[in-house]
Parts: sequence; structure tokens; C-alpha cells
Amino acid sequence: MLLALTQWLAEDVRFFSVFNYITFRAVLAAMTALIISFMVGPTMIRKLTAYKIGQSVRSDGPQTHLIKAGTPTMGGALILTSVAITTLLWGDLHNHYVWVVLVATLGFGVIGWVDDYRKVVHRNPKGLSAKAKMGWQSVVALAVGIYLWNTASFPANTELIVPFLKFFVFPLSAFTFIVLTYLVIVGSSNAVNLTDGLDGLAIMPTVMVSGALAIFAYVAGNAVFSKYLGIPYIPGAGELAVFCGAISGAGLAFLWFNAYPAEVFMGDVGALALGAALGTVAVIVRQELVLFIMGGVFVVEAVSVMIQVASFKLTGKRVFRMAPLHHHYELKGWKETQVVVRFWIITMLLVLLGLATLKLR
Amino acid sequence: MIVENQMKKCGTQALGETHVSAANVMATPNAYVRFWIITMLLVLMGLATLKLR
Repeated sequence: MLLALTQWLAEDVRFFSVFNYITFRAVLAAMTALIISFMVGPTMIRKLTAYKIGQSVRSDGPQTHLIKAGTPTMGGALILTSVAITTLLWGDLHNHYVWVVLVATLGFGVIGWVDDYRKVVHRNPKGLSAKAKMGWQSVVALAVGIYLWNTASFPANTELIVPFLKFFVFPLSAFTFIVLTYLVIVGSSNAVNLTDGLDGLAIMPTVMVSGALAIFAYVAGNAVFSKYLGIPYIPGAGELAVFCGAISGAGLAFLWFNAYPAEVFMGDVGALALGAALGTVAVIVRQELVLFIMGGVFVVEAVSVMIQVASFKLTGKRVFRMAPLHHHYELKGWKETQVVVRFWIITMLLVLLGLATLKLR
Repeated sequence: MIVENQMKKCGTQALGETHVSAANVMATPNAYVRFWIITMLLVLMGLATLKLR
């Protein structure tokens, strides 16, 4: 909205042309989302506490987590609100990619919100059934895949590129593209959700990966840079840097309240939506495999659950002391803050490795 | 030990008086993460000077 206003003003006052720069609007989006979250956060936490919208803690989890019971949850709504407002303010609303990521993010947010609402307000420990949750996630992810396939105007929009290997580019058929999109969006959404088990563990990697995806989006949307770096040129994808900037800003502000000892948890409403947002951006900028690298912590957390469940069903034995992986390390004696900061450090390294794929190919 | 005794004499805990945030308001991890966030914002502001001139 503000972009249209500044473009109109720029006709008379040249200064306003600065708002045409995606990089400038991405920084402004980060600052705006941060300020909105800082302003609304304390009030929201007070309201959530007053309405007794508190997290229930799994009884079979680490004993140190029992004191967390009752901490306000559904704080992800704060992130989603500030990301949506900020993107609508600073994004180019004529760009269809902006609407795709917003719809996917808010769609997954609604699924998470219903799940949280049933768990916390209706005191229904099951929340949304696994089938219903998966079903609705599939609907949104498949809709995104089908839409992106039908609106793809260049071969680069639907090719799978391999990090570090410039000449390994695989054109995808409609079926494989939609299936891959589905797996990336639903997979990243649930992986972030599984990671969201310790204070600050999910949000900081999300901020870092989102920041890196902002760079990928900017480069992919720029004809000169994409040609120079040898990555697919996706016209219009640069606008997603504004969206990613908003996620990073809102995420950092949320971390302010979510750092140990957390004053609020993001809940499924935040975790499912943020994971879906990362997945959707990665699909649009054709960096699914780089997301797999940068979001390595999310991947490992999800894989640890799969291994634990498969092993227990097949052999009756557990591979980890507890799944997801962060609980395994807690039970090994690491303090919660140690697990969190060490997983952040690993994510930093993985994000740097992901960014290195821009040049090393 | 000597330092701790001096702190007790001064009426402060082992945290020391310099840890204002930690001693008065926030738990320690909360305080340092918030200081990291502020630093990140300042670094971003510094980097923005590359473009905004």
C-alpha cells in the first residue's frame, strides 16, 4: 500500500524513489514488523495470561519442563499479525508471489490456530485430529503447488537446481513439481513445529533461514545478479525479500519474549505457519535443496522423531533417550539454554553453507 | 572468596552490582539474549549505512 503511495509521491518529490528499492523496503519491513511486535507483545501476553491461554506440558517429557505449564501460548498470532500487516504495507501488492506466500502462511496459521484453540481453550488434549491437520495442510500445499505450476512462465520457474553443481538442473513435470512443492511446504511446516519444544529454539533458526532466503529471493529476482551467480532468474521473486524481512523482524521481536525463561510460546499457530512460509519461499525461488541444508536443525529434529517411532514399532527399542532430538540432549545432561544456543550455532553454520552455494557452483 | 565477602558486605549477591538487568528484572539468559537482539539490530543499522548515504 505504502509502495503505491510513495510511487505517486515520487512523481513530484524525487526522494520518495528510494522506496522503489526492494532492499530498502526489506529493511523497513523488518523494522516495522519488529516495532509492531514490540508494541503489541506485552499487551498480548497480558491478555493471554488473563484468559488463561496457557501451554500444557507433556507429562512424559523432561521433569524440568513441568514449571513451564501455564505459560501463555498462541504467541505465533503476534508474529503472523505483524508479518501480514508489514507485508501489506511495504510489499508490492501487484506481485502474485506476495499473495501466494501470504495465503500459504496464513492458511497454515489458521490450521495451527484451530489446533491450539481446541487444546487450550476447549481443554481437548488431542486438538485437531492428525488426519484433519494433515488433510488441511495438504489442501493448502497442493493449492500452492498447482497455482505455481499453472502460473509458471519460464522453464526456470519449475526446474530443480542442485546446490554446488551448476550443470545439474532437472526440469520437473507437473506431477513431480506439485509433489515436491507439497513435500517441501508440509515437511518444513511440521519440522519447525517439532523443533518448537524449547524456549527460543524454533524462532531464531527461523529468523536466520528467513534472512538468508531474503538474499536468495533478491538475487533470484534480479536479472544481473542471477546471471552473474548462475542461479535461475525468477522475475518478481525479489519482492519476497520484503516478506522474509518481515518474518525476521517479527521473529526477533518474538524472541525477546520467548527467550529462556519464556514469557510466551508461539504454539502451532506460529510454528506451522512459519515453516510453511519458509517452504513456500524456497519453492518460489527454486532453492528447496538449499532450504534442506540451511534448515538442517529442523530436518534433524523431524528425522529424529521418525527414527524413534520406526525403531520403537519395529524393534521395541528407542534410538534416542527421547524425541525430538532436543529432549535427547536435555536428558543427557545439557541445560536447556545450552541445547538452544548450540542448535543456533549449528544453524548459523548451515546458513553460511547455504549462502556459500550462491558462489560455489 | 575475598570478592564474595566484599560483595556480601556491600549487600550485593554474587551477580555483582554491574549486572543490573540480571539482578533486578530479568533472568540471566533472558538478559543476554535481549542484548544479542539489540546488537543484531545495531549491526543491521550499521550495514544499512552502506546503502543509505
